[in-house]
Amino acid sequence: MNIEEFQEALFAKGRKAGFTEMEIYYANSRSISVSVLKGEIDAYKIVESGGLSFRGLIGGKMGYSSTERLDDESIDYLLDEAGSNAEVLENEEPEELFAGSERYHSVNTYSASLIKTSPDRLIEAALAMERIALEADHRIDMVRRSAASVSESEVLIVNTKGLNCHRKHSSASASIYVLAKESKDAKETVTGGWFDFSLRSFDDIDLEAVALTGVREAVSKLGANTVQSDNYPVIFRNDAATSLLSSFTSVFSAESVDKGFSRLKGKLGERVAGSNVSIIDDPLMDNVPSSKSFDAEGSATARHELIKDGRLLTFLHNRKTARKTGAANTANAAKGGYKGMVEVSHHNLYIAPGTAALAEIIRGTERGILIVELQGLHAGTNATSGSFSLAAIGYLIEHGEIVRPVNQITVSGNFFELLNGIETIGNDPRFVGSCTSPTLKIGSLSVSGA
Amino acid sequence: MLQERLIVNVLTAALETGGDFAEIFAEDKTSGRLEMVGGVLESSLSGRDYGVGIRILKGNFSVYAYTNDSSEHNLIATARSAAAAIRGSAAGSAVMDLRRTDFDNRHSVEIMPDSSQKKRKIELMRRAHSTAAGFDPCIAQTKIHATNQLQNVLIANTEGLLVQDTRVYTRLGISAVAEDGDQKQSGFSGPGAYAGHEFLEGLDIEEHARTASRIAVTMVKAGFAPSGRLPVIIDNGFGGVLFHEACGHGLESTAVAPGSSVFAGKLGERVASPLVTAVDDGTIANAWGSLNIDDEGARTQRNVLIENGLLKGYLIDRMGSRRMGMPSTGSGRRQSYKFAPASRMNNTFICNGTSTREEIIANTEYGIYAKSMGGGSVNTATSDFNFAVQEAYIIRNGKIAEPVKGATLIGKGIDCLSKIDMVGNNLEHGQGMCGSVSGSLPVNCGQPTIRISEMTVGGRKGE
Repeated sequence: MNIEEFQEALFAKGRKAGFTEMEIYYANSRSISVSVLKGEIDAYKIVESGGLSFRGLIGGKMGYSSTERLDDESIDYLLDEAGSNAEVLENEEPEELFAGSERYHSVNTYSASLIKTSPDRLIEAALAMERIALEADHRIDMVRRSAASVSESEVLIVNTKGLNCHRKHSSASASIYVLAKESKDAKETVTGGWFDFSLRSFDDIDLEAVALTGVREAVSKLGANTVQSDNYPVIFRNDAATSLLSSFTSVFSAESVDKGFSRLKGKLGERVAGSNVSIIDDPLMDNVPSSKSFDAEGSATARHELIKDGRLLTFLHNRKTARKTGAANTANAAKGGYKGMVEVSHHNLYIAPGTAALAEIIRGTERGILIVELQGLHAGTNATSGSFSLAAIGYLIEHGEIVRPVNQITVSGNFFELLNGIETIGNDPRFVGSCTSPTLKIGSLSVSGA
Repeated sequence: MLQERLIVNVLTAALETGGDFAEIFAEDKTSGRLEMVGGVLESSLSGRDYGVGIRILKGNFSVYAYTNDSSEHNLIATARSAAAAIRGSAAGSAVMDLRRTDFDNRHSVEIMPDSSQKKRKIELMRRAHSTAAGFDPCIAQTKIHATNQLQNVLIANTEGLLVQDTRVYTRLGISAVAEDGDQKQSGFSGPGAYAGHEFLEGLDIEEHARTASRIAVTMVKAGFAPSGRLPVIIDNGFGGVLFHEACGHGLESTAVAPGSSVFAGKLGERVASPLVTAVDDGTIANAWGSLNIDDEGARTQRNVLIENGLLKGYLIDRMGSRRMGMPSTGSGRRQSYKFAPASRMNNTFICNGTSTREEIIANTEYGIYAKSMGGGSVNTATSDFNFAVQEAYIIRNGKIAEPVKGATLIGKGIDCLSKIDMVGNNLEHGQGMCGSVSGSLPVNCGQPTIRISEMTVGGRKGE
C-alpha cells in the first residue's frame, strides 16, 4: 500500500472503531553514505525507510501508536493499540487536533538533485579527504574515518480536520576523524575531526578545508597535559559552547517548566541572564539544517525571542502547553522521531552573536583556558539543577596567547549561573544543527586537573 | 518472517557482483512505553518496527542497505543496489543450502508482554510513585516509566545459516527530583531484564523507588565535590560502567582491528592491576545484556577479557574476525535492522576479589566513595574516559562522611586499571543502555566494590 491508500483505509476503519478525530504523521528518508579507511571503501550504506505514527481521539482521550509496515495487519494494530493507550491515560487536559494555520512561511531546505549525487562522487570525495589529511602532516597516524553522504527526508501530517502539511529536506555532508602521534612509536595519541554540510549540493562542500581543519584539530592537541586545579577564566569555543547549550535547551520548554524540571519556572519577565545575553529560536532562517515551516502539530512556525537582553520573555510552547498556561503558542510542537508523543522542543535555537572574534577574545585573556571539546555530556550535565562537570580538552592561555594544549581536566559549573557570568560573546556562531552558540568567555569556572 | 525461497533469491542477488558473503537480518519488533509523571499516567505509546537489512562483504569492504518493504521484488532490488557498490567481476554462482539452526534457549520468559498488561503495569508504577514521593518532603517530582519490547529476528547468510530468535525485554525506570530552596537534584534507579512481565511482578519496586529518592534527597543537601587527584572507591553494581568505558569499548574489534585502540597488539600483556579479572558474558540467564545468538547469528559466549591483569581477549564480530584473523566471540550486535552489526559488549563485569566493602572503606584515609554511578563515555583512540557520579560521599579516616554532588571522574584506560588496588567480594550487575556505532543496546555493567588509588575528580569546591 502507498501512504495515501494506507491513510484512507486507516481513517475509514478508525471511524468505525469509534475514533472521532484522527491524524497521521509520516516520515521517510533516503540516504547514501560512504566511508573509507586506508585507501579502501570501509562501509557503504544505502537507506530507504519510513515510519508512520497515528493518533486519534476516542472517549475524549488521544491515543497514540506507530508502525513501519504499511499493511492491513498494521491498520488493526494501530487502532487497537491507540485505543488501549487512550484508555489508560490520566492527564486532564484533552488534546485536540489542529485544522492548520492560515498561512505558512516558505522555507526551502530541499534540492531534488542532491540525492542523485553519484555514489562514485562520494567515494572519490572520501578518498580525497583521506589523502589530503595524510599528506598535510606527517604526524597523522591514521585517518580513522573519512566519510561523505547525501540524504533526503520528508514529513507529512494529515488529519481529519483538514490539515495537510508536507515538507522535504535534503542535505549533503563530509566529515573526517583523524588520529595523530608525534612519531610512530610515541605513546600519546590525540584525535580530531571536522565536518561540513550543504543543503543544496555536495559540490558546495570544501573538502580540502574539512580535511585540513580535521588535521589541525588533532595535531594541535599533541603534547597536552593537565593543569593545576583552580578557578580559571574559561573560553568555550563556538562548538564546545554549542554542545554545552544543547544539554540545557529543555529548560526553555513549557512542558519541562510545568512538570517542575526547569529552574526557570516562575521567572517570566525576570532577569535570568546577563544583559548581554539574548536567546532566539528561529525556524525560518535561511540555509540552516533545522529550519521548517510547520511544527509537529502542523502550526506555522515563527521566530521567537526567549531571552532578550537577559530577560526571560517566553517559554517554548505547543498547543497543549499554550492552552494550559494561557500563553501564546510558539509552534514548538516536536516529536522525538516519528514515533513519539507530541512534546515541546526548539527548532533552531541560538545565543545571539556578539562582535568579538575568537582571536581577539584569546588576546584579551591574561590567563585562562580555551575549551574546544567537551565529553560525556549525556551523563555530566543535569538540566534540572543546571549543574555540569565535564571532561574537557583545550589550550592554556597566558598573556593573551595559546601556550600549550590541555587534557585530563574537568570543567564544572552551573548553566544558570553561567548565563549571568558571560564576559564576552563571540561573533562566530556556526549553524550546523538545531542549537547554536557563538564562542563564550566565562569570568571564572572551576577546573579540576592535577 | 521470510520464506526460505525468498531468502535464497535475495542472497543470490546480493552476490551477483562478486561479493564473498551476504546476510539478511529481518526484524519485527513491537514495543510499549508507559510514562507516569507525578503519579499521573501521561503517556502510553505502542509501536511496531519492521524492516530488513542486507549486508554484503567482499574482503574488508562492507555494504549495508535496509528497507521497510519486504516484498520479494523490493528486497531483490535493494540487494542489487547494494551489490552495485561492490563493482567486482560477475558472480560465483552461489549454491545455498540453508540449514535451519537451533539452539537451546537459555532465557525463560513466563509472561510474554502484550497490551493487556497496561493496567497492571500502571498499578505497579503507581506504587513506585507513592514510595518515591513519600520518601521525604523534599521530593518535588517523580517520573516513572515502564518499557517492554518483543523483538523477533531472522538471520540468514550465504554460509547456509538460517536462525530465528525472539528477545523479550522489560524495564522499569524511576526518577525522583528533590528540591531544597533553589536547589534541584535528581536520582534514578532503572532495573531491567531479558524477561517478560514476570520481571516487574517479582521486582522489589519500593526498594528501587527509595533508592531513586534517597539519591535525590542526599544530593540536594550535599555540598560540591572537591577537585583534584584522590583515591576513589566505586561501589558494586552499575559502578562497572568504569570498566565498560575505561576498557570495554577499547577491546571491541571495531577499534582494535584498524589499530586505533590503545589495547591493539597487547594480547598477553599487562593492562591492569593483577587484582583485575574481567569478563564479558552474553550467556547469563535473563540478564539485560544477554542474547542466545548475536545479531549475526553466532552463539553468545562467556569471553574472558582480562585475567589477573593480563589482556586475554577482544570482543570480535564477523568483520573484526576477517580483519584480525581471529574467531568471532559472538559479539556482533545492532540496535535494529537500521544498523550494520558491530562488535559490542553484552554483560561486562570485573570478577570478585577478596576484600569486603567495609575493609576497603576502613583502609582509605581520605577519598571519594562513589556509591551510585551515572553514565560516561570514552575516546577509544586516546583511552580518555569520563563518567558522572550520581551519588558520592567523602571518606575521611576510614569512614563514610558527608555527601558531595557534581563529581565527574576522568582518566585514561590502562593507567586507571593499573591503579585498582582493592577489589571487593560483592559482585553485582546494573542495567544501562550503551550507545555506539551500531546503535543503542541493553548492556549490564557489573563489578564488586573496587578502589582506585588515584583518579582525577572534577568537582566545584573552592569556587
